[in-house]
Amino acid sequence: MKSIKRTQRIISLVILFFVLGMAVLVFKLIHESSFYMMNSDKHELGFVYDRKGDVLFDGTGKDSYPDNYFLDVGNIIGDDKGQMENTLVAQNIEKLNNYSFSNGLIQNGGQASICTTLDHASNRAVFNAYGYQEGCVSAYNYKTGEILVCTSLPSLDVTKGYDNIANFKPGTLMSKNLYKTVPGSTQKVSTVISALEIMGTSQLFSKSFTCTGKYTNRTGNDIDCHNPYGHGTQNIQEAFENSCNPFFAQLIEDEDLPLDRLKKQYEKMGYAINGAKPEYIDINGIQCETASTTLEDPYQFKTQWGCIGQGDTIVSPIQLMMWQSAIANESGRMTMPYLIDHVTDLKGNVKEKAKTRYSDKLFSESTASSTKQIMLTNGSDRYAYSISGYRVGVKSGTAQVDEGMKENSLLVGFVDDPSFPIAFCILIEDKDSGYLTTEQVAQVLLDNLKNNY
Amino acid sequence: MYANPIAYFFSSIFVLIAHIAMLVNIYFNGNYTNVRSVAVLGAAVIILDIAYLVGIIFFKQASYILDFLLILIIGMSVIFQSCFGEVGFDVKHYITCIVCLVASKASYLLCRNHKYLQDKKKYIYAAIGIVVLITLVFTSAENMWIEIGSFTIQPSEFLKPLFVLACATSIADQQKKHKVLFFNVVYENIALFGIMAIICLVQVKSHDYGSLPTFLSIYAAGFLLRICYPKAKFSKKKLFAVIAVIVIFLLIGLKYAPEYVQHRLHVDIWSDKTGDGYQQSQALIGIANGGWFGVGPGKGFLANVFAYDNDIVFATVSEEWGLLYALMMVFTIVVITAVPLINPARSYFHGTMSACVSAAFLVQMALNIWGSCNLIPFTGVTVPFISTGGSSLMVSGFMIGMLLAAQSPVFKEQKNKKQEAPVPAWRWNE
Repeated sequence: MKSIKRTQRIISLVILFFVLGMAVLVFKLIHESSFYMMNSDKHELGFVYDRKGDVLFDGTGKDSYPDNYFLDVGNIIGDDKGQMENTLVAQNIEKLNNYSFSNGLIQNGGQASICTTLDHASNRAVFNAYGYQEGCVSAYNYKTGEILVCTSLPSLDVTKGYDNIANFKPGTLMSKNLYKTVPGSTQKVSTVISALEIMGTSQLFSKSFTCTGKYTNRTGNDIDCHNPYGHGTQNIQEAFENSCNPFFAQLIEDEDLPLDRLKKQYEKMGYAINGAKPEYIDINGIQCETASTTLEDPYQFKTQWGCIGQGDTIVSPIQLMMWQSAIANESGRMTMPYLIDHVTDLKGNVKEKAKTRYSDKLFSESTASSTKQIMLTNGSDRYAYSISGYRVGVKSGTAQVDEGMKENSLLVGFVDDPSFPIAFCILIEDKDSGYLTTEQVAQVLLDNLKNNY
Repeated sequence: MYANPIAYFFSSIFVLIAHIAMLVNIYFNGNYTNVRSVAVLGAAVIILDIAYLVGIIFFKQASYILDFLLILIIGMSVIFQSCFGEVGFDVKHYITCIVCLVASKASYLLCRNHKYLQDKKKYIYAAIGIVVLITLVFTSAENMWIEIGSFTIQPSEFLKPLFVLACATSIADQQKKHKVLFFNVVYENIALFGIMAIICLVQVKSHDYGSLPTFLSIYAAGFLLRICYPKAKFSKKKLFAVIAVIVIFLLIGLKYAPEYVQHRLHVDIWSDKTGDGYQQSQALIGIANGGWFGVGPGKGFLANVFAYDNDIVFATVSEEWGLLYALMMVFTIVVITAVPLINPARSYFHGTMSACVSAAFLVQMALNIWGSCNLIPFTGVTVPFISTGGSSLMVSGFMIGMLLAAQSPVFKEQKNKKQEAPVPAWRWNE
């Protein structure tokens, strides 16, 4: 009889294996059922709302909206037509489906929705401020990570469809906030952070270099300054405010700023150095490109030019904005941005409530504090009138694109106010094509956020 | 005659109520144009139930649990298959189900006496040889079936019960070890390995890779139980050795599998949902569409997908009847395989047979269900009793008969003949 029990053990083992497999299968089926349904012809999508309940996307397609109502957020919210993959709807379409394994597909009256952190009114105001010019603006609460503004021009009203897609301007179907661009002198923020982290505040402030309008580096290449008459001898604060290229070129050559440590600090901040594979920042499934640059030889033009924010250096506006949070919070950690505040299921129950998350430490608190002070001083010295009513820490930049044929204007910064903790990045493409300035956009942005927040 | 009339009565009532409940569900939620089709189906199922339940009275068995479970699952099968797409009595499936029931009883009668089978072992080997030959001659990689009228037969299916019998019979021969070079070998084991290898090669030649794991599971269970005989406990060394050999074979198989098999192993069904991933993606969508309680009998869209009634039958049932019901169906088959745990087999032969049959059923079911749901590569084997296919149902019935036989075996005693006093070879001559 004992030997017969052996046959039973074999049966028990096979049954156990099968039952465990079935348990995994059932879990998988229930967990992924919404995804399966989204791949079928049958789905009933719900709505995407802004932070006040204003509709940003209507999955039912039944209601009517004013002309161009979704224009300001068209290429970040997207739709279900499959033309824009890197958008909120495309990446979270399962959450919008009025389906659950238990309740099936609700044809009418389903309440599945995504409630975003965006402020539609502010987005629209900033979008309108651009007029015929193009660019992008992103702004978020650097304490919580809520993205409040994420607009990009040109854009589209998704309700109008894609019949006219052949006539769309380049960049219409993508939010430029997510894609890398030349940062211009806003890159100097990263260089200052690295120098502070490596040298320390007192040593960096003790350094002074002379600008005569251009600097011929050790390999014989010229680094031009935007001021052809030169800025004279400056310390880091003055050079930062003057956005002086020769100063920063000499700083990169300085022996107290060894290249290997500079590379490590850049990598810590998220740069892909010298052709390394860049990663992505995930914002509710939307992929945001991360920075890359070339740092090969501190005496070479390419490396110096890259640390100044031209040449090989490229960064996405969202990442530029995120670094501001690490500075503004004086923590050295970025507040991770998010677009989805919460999701409601088909019965209207709230689920997936967002939580504030932080990155790993990119630099020390003292570095963050010193950088903040430098930026705030720059803000009060240079921007107090152009961005009035707010204590801002900022850095502007002019980026040469299309092989120097065009120049983009950038402004990154933050508001130093615990009750209004906003970090932002503004990009105006081909700045000479119009009269709009980044400061004007910043004023519109902050005023609208202040009124609507 | 059934020993416990009360248990018989209530078990029969349970089976009838289960089927009637399903029929009522069809009546209220089903997709039918004429209520007559529901009535015909209902009558057919109830008649079959009653006929079988009455029929088993005439079989002298120690336990009838398997009979009740068998008729329960067969009735479910007839109802499911008759409802796919639209409610309408599926006569062909009904007939194959009757064949399945008959096969179970025939197998029961055949397998009760292990000594009888042991004596006929050469016929089992011969039958395996014939089926292998038929498979090689009459089937090909493009067509694994032999068509006879409106019925199709898959000869390789019949290898399963024959292989189970080959693995289970004459286990006592394990003790007859022969010295070959430095090794003690059992000829029987070498023969079994040879049979297994031939069957696997035939399956590979027929491109029926889905059946390979089923045969391997039968062989693994049978071989393990053989080599551990007669000790009471498993030899851990032998257990690990068997597992290691299986894993090595599996890895070699995966590495050197033909290109189209490799493609199936790595296909992303969602990026190829109109091509190679069509059946699986549609099956998963069907399950999601059905939810827990289904869209209603005959109301699913999976009935328009190829092989909805066999390869992806779990998903088709799930869609129309709900995942809960599909799981109950699976649970019923699992309980069938678990009956030997409740009513232990009466001999090592019957125990080995039960283990091989249970392993075959469960592995086959796992391959079908997990494969169609994209948990493992899709192979296209059948779910015992549920999928359509005469060969599959007949073989499943035959294998259930083996389990039945294990519950009520026959041990024919040798008649005690009065032994004559032996004549001494040498006698003192006075």
